[in-house]
Amino acid sequence: MILVVAEQRGGTLNRASWETIAAAQHIPGGVPIVVAVLGGSGGATTAAAQLAAAAVHEVVAVEHPSLEPYTADGFTAALQSLIGQLNPTSVLFPHTYQTRDFVPKLAARLDRALLTDVTGTKPSDDGALVFVRPMFQGKLTADVRPQGPAPHLVTFQIGSYRPDAAARGSSPAPVKTVAATLDGASVRQRPDQPYQEARQAVDLSQAERIVSVGRGIKGQEHLSVAQALADALKAELAASRPICDAGWLPMERQVGSSGQTVAPKLYVALGISGAIQHLVGMKGSNVIVAINKDPDAPIFEVADYGIVGDLFEVVPALVKALNE
Amino acid sequence: MIADAPNTFSTADLGARTYRFLADVLGQRQTLRERPLPGLAHALVFWGFVAFGLYTTVEYLKGLGIVDLTHTRWFAAYRILLTPFAIGVLVGIVGLALRRAVIRPVGLGQTVSIESLVIAGFIATLMITFLLAWRLDEASLAGQVNWWVHALVILAFLALIPASKHFHLVLSPVTVFLKSPELGNVPNLDFEKEQVGLEAVKDLGSKTVLDAFTCVECGRCQVNCPAWGAGKALNPKTLILQTQDALLARKPDTKLVDLYSDEVLWQCTTCGACENQCPVGIEHLPLIIGARRGLVSNGEAPDYLGGVYNHLERRGNIWGLGSDQRQKFVHASGLETFDPRVHDVLVWLGCAGAFEADFQRSLRALFDILRGRGVKFGVLAKERCTGDSAKRTGNEYLFQELAHQNIEDLRAAGPKTIVASCPHCVKTIGNDYRKFGYEVEIVHSAAFVEALTRGDQSVAGNPRERVTYHDPCYLGRYAGTFDEPRALLTRFGAEVTEPTRNRDNPYCCGAGGGLLFADKDEEPGSRISDVRFRQLQETGAGTIVTACPFCTIMLKGAQSSAAAVGGAGEIQFVDLMTFANGRLSKVG
Repeated sequence: MILVVAEQRGGTLNRASWETIAAAQHIPGGVPIVVAVLGGSGGATTAAAQLAAAAVHEVVAVEHPSLEPYTADGFTAALQSLIGQLNPTSVLFPHTYQTRDFVPKLAARLDRALLTDVTGTKPSDDGALVFVRPMFQGKLTADVRPQGPAPHLVTFQIGSYRPDAAARGSSPAPVKTVAATLDGASVRQRPDQPYQEARQAVDLSQAERIVSVGRGIKGQEHLSVAQALADALKAELAASRPICDAGWLPMERQVGSSGQTVAPKLYVALGISGAIQHLVGMKGSNVIVAINKDPDAPIFEVADYGIVGDLFEVVPALVKALNE
Repeated sequence: MIADAPNTFSTADLGARTYRFLADVLGQRQTLRERPLPGLAHALVFWGFVAFGLYTTVEYLKGLGIVDLTHTRWFAAYRILLTPFAIGVLVGIVGLALRRAVIRPVGLGQTVSIESLVIAGFIATLMITFLLAWRLDEASLAGQVNWWVHALVILAFLALIPASKHFHLVLSPVTVFLKSPELGNVPNLDFEKEQVGLEAVKDLGSKTVLDAFTCVECGRCQVNCPAWGAGKALNPKTLILQTQDALLARKPDTKLVDLYSDEVLWQCTTCGACENQCPVGIEHLPLIIGARRGLVSNGEAPDYLGGVYNHLERRGNIWGLGSDQRQKFVHASGLETFDPRVHDVLVWLGCAGAFEADFQRSLRALFDILRGRGVKFGVLAKERCTGDSAKRTGNEYLFQELAHQNIEDLRAAGPKTIVASCPHCVKTIGNDYRKFGYEVEIVHSAAFVEALTRGDQSVAGNPRERVTYHDPCYLGRYAGTFDEPRALLTRFGAEVTEPTRNRDNPYCCGAGGGLLFADKDEEPGSRISDVRFRQLQETGAGTIVTACPFCTIMLKGAQSSAAAVGGAGEIQFVDLMTFANGRLSKVG
């Protein structure tokens, strides 16, 4: 039996839980899968009801007041006893910040092997399960076979499986609610409110397409030229430092080492020479299109498509073509 | 307090220390060089004090009834000799008092120090009473009163010294001697001894404690600090005085970040102006970088540095770009891998050379010059950042990792001479790597090419191009290379118009100490680069010549920001190597 530990907060499932279920379903041999989800009163049950849609053997909601909010001591104790009862061959987790926090402790407590950041599984000649994980920042991958007695603990890298790849069952899986075997007094951590990063008014890092303007735009009154292209492409408008310094666009639209770092699918650089401080903020873009009068501008070093020309001629022509 | 502090005293390199002692203490070099007039006034007072030492001793021996030498012939001659000194002291002290009370320069603070005026009064009284003694009969009442006034003022003065900034009379000769001969010397941490940098007042080293009590509050560090000059909160003088206060308050557990504020600690560009201009031997950089180390070890570096550290860890350069970019440049420029049997010098590209378009142009000019002169050169197959940004921002662990890997590669390559166009690389490899036992001659391209082309005919007589030259802090101030770039420029047809703050005391571009990446955090109107760009603009030259990749980035950034609002004028940037190479081909 394979145990998948899903992750929820306040009844909302972490999407990576579905990815881990998909990972478990991909393990050859049709081993039955049990999904466990931990939490306080309500949260775990709500999440378990959603998880029941998956094609799995059973869903277990493990509840205890000391499991919400999350603590490393609480989760370790609850899972240690659950694993003892279910006796699975493997325990799979999504590789979230939460599992990074407590799974090493759990593995040490159980004295079992832990494999982290796994991206896939494959069978070996002798039928034992082999896990694939990246090494040296993804330059190599290693096939890893866990040593020692079962269960082996495995965390799956986020994005290795698609959440919609998790097969849904024809009928809901049975859901069982159990009380965790856990002494609340043994939990030493006293968590604060979860940290919420201050949201930028404009989050360029999430934009799919960006039209970015530099000094070649010459004046604030010409921004409409760039805005027209942005509208035609359904793109966000961004800028390099001098434009924001001059107050032509707000600071939160600045791209570069002194602004936001972006990685859109399409980045159109209008009249940006490409000082390195700008380049490092947008080099991760999928496709870079540069329009600049100066053929020696460094922006052409990183551009996939370059147009040497006056942006006031090129951009209106582009807008016209796009609108047709 | 000094005995309680971790010992950071060093007397290594006695020759350099003795020279500095003679020049700065006896010769009053530092006092004179930036402020010639007040400096001369101070020197007159100082030399007078030295001259009077024996006189005071003899008079007290008499007064205490031990032995009366005042009627010997040599003492009479000595008294005559002292008279011009006394007049000198009197002139000096009156000048200084007027400066403090009437002229009130900004570096001396907002309020007039009453204590200083009292001391000035004491010194003047001493001199007047000495001179009056010529005119008064010693046995007369007036003579007696005069003698007693002189003697009592001396006693009062002596009593005041330890409790005031005039403690520097006693401490500064020692502090000057103990100051590191190397500017910005921040010794490596020893991780085996679990050193993590300075966290609290009790971690301050003995030299820093001595520094705090030596400070004369003259404000040279303050007025030369580019951060202060740009309107930021950092004031190096305040930092030293806060240290003094904390030590006197006997609060060893006060966190340095609470004492100085983290904002201030991260505003330093490590340009070295404060330390270099200090007349009494105070070292600011070990304090600032030490406190940064304490913060970094506790994960309290500013956000923008997180990205830089990540790039350095993962990619070995500050930009976070892949090493294939460097490979492309090496290949396109036709560079060979260094082999000591084939090549004369190793050219160190640096992370800007490997990735930054402007600086690559500069390096290609250097390659042209070297090839044209038959200098055989090669590069390393692989380079990492020297670790300058990590070292100056207090990430010592990361610095040492990068340094050890680079040293290993450099040792394997075995160059005798390295040429680099980045002054930060020159400082880090030349000074910081030496402390790991790696000795090599490293020269900035400005100095190397200047020596290489010294025999060239000067192109004087041709119409000269008016340029201004921005000295990089790590070249002009740290390496003392400020004549060579000018010689190169003049040799190849430039007429250099000097900006304010130049040569060994330039005004920083704002990039050093990791601040290259910080401008997101900078308050508008307080960018160091903007201030420097305006200073260069004010020379009226059409061209700004630079010799450091970071200066170019910062000043060009300032220019484009100024241009967006129409304030940049017609001024272009040329890097020194490109300028020389362009002119070389013409000379041909």
